[in-house]
Amino acid sequence: MRQGSGIRFALLGLVSKNPAGVHGYALKRQCERALGSFWQLNFGEVYRVLDRLANEGLIEQIVEESESSRKVYRITANGRRSLDDFVLSPPTDAPRPLRQELAVKLLFAAPGRLTDLLTLVDHQRAAYMRQLSLLGVQRRKLQRAPVDGFVTGLLIDGAELSVRAELAWLDDVTQKLKERFDAVP
Amino acid sequence: MIEFCKVTKVFGAGDTAVPAIQDLSFECGEGAFWAIMGPSGSGKSTVLHMIAGLTPPTSGSVLVEGADVARMTSAQAAVLRRRRIGYILQSFNLMPFLTAAENVGMPLVLDGVKQSEVDRRVGEALELVNMSHRAAHHPSHLSGGEQQRVAIARALVIRPAIVLADEPTGNLDRAGGRAIMDLIQDVNEETRVTVLLVTHDPVFAAYAHRVLRLVDGRFQQDIDLPEDDLSVAP
Repeated sequence: MRQGSGIRFALLGLVSKNPAGVHGYALKRQCERALGSFWQLNFGEVYRVLDRLANEGLIEQIVEESESSRKVYRITANGRRSLDDFVLSPPTDAPRPLRQELAVKLLFAAPGRLTDLLTLVDHQRAAYMRQLSLLGVQRRKLQRAPVDGFVTGLLIDGAELSVRAELAWLDDVTQKLKERFDAVP
Repeated sequence: MIEFCKVTKVFGAGDTAVPAIQDLSFECGEGAFWAIMGPSGSGKSTVLHMIAGLTPPTSGSVLVEGADVARMTSAQAAVLRRRRIGYILQSFNLMPFLTAAENVGMPLVLDGVKQSEVDRRVGEALELVNMSHRAAHHPSHLSGGEQQRVAIARALVIRPAIVLADEPTGNLDRAGGRAIMDLIQDVNEETRVTVLLVTHDPVFAAYAHRVLRLVDGRFQQDIDLPEDDLSVAP
């Protein structure tokens, strides 16, 4: 999914989990807790998205009695419907750009550059292995944290699977590059 | 801890000679946790076999704690394996007619350790792998993951300097494999035992501090991974 619509529905979903109302700062923290480090949020972004959701009638502002200076939001009936639609629609994640970039490079590389190409692939592989390592660290932190990490766990599973696929593809690329260029006289 | 100096291993001879390892040199220190990856037939298991003295190199030297394994008699190599090296395999290799506790204690019994000491250390090892409650069970009554835990306890009961793990997750499903890798990682962190892991699964290789890709008997790539810092909150 595009990051924009992801944040939009992440915030809408979190507002819906706070029936008594919630302010932007708490939402940002809840969002980071729920999604780990997959998305980096800043306050400006959070408030911009909240304003837009309020303008569209998906959430509404309520007056908080004790500290009236902060804006407190809660979900509307329209907001709930929109959230349901989003949850049930198929994901629209675009393919990762790294693969395309490598493909473009391979497309324009001459056979004499086999070593350079393999170095490029190795570089990419190392980047993915580091990513897997960080995902593992995240998973273990999650296991030890006193929070319900169900959704973050699923996101880590998904990220791991796609990195595995990329790595398998890189092994394939290595093998086929060697076959192709070794065969060229 | 482990040192390879210009090690070559050729299987067969003449026209049918197959070079498995070619001019391989590396040094692996105490407390290291390395993963060796590579395609089938790239020589991954051969590296572990040579460290354990199960396969002599064709040329070069393999030093374990300063001693050249290639120059050991088979009896000396057996003592090295029994006292210093814990081996974990894909196929667990537990004896079906012994209980979990008896399997774990076997290397100590073979080494002539007295029974009270055997019992104490078996208890510790089973506790370390969370299998105390299954001590009296036979392997056929244990799940794959539990059998591997028992096999890990058997590898650790000798308090080895080195753990060689050859596809330890190969017979387990993803969750079971992850649990075994979590355990191996904890053991490496807590006891500073040197771990050499052979795996073709990048997710499990990523537990290591360093990943070496073996291709055609040579290290083709060497990837340093960030150390696991769990002190930071999620």
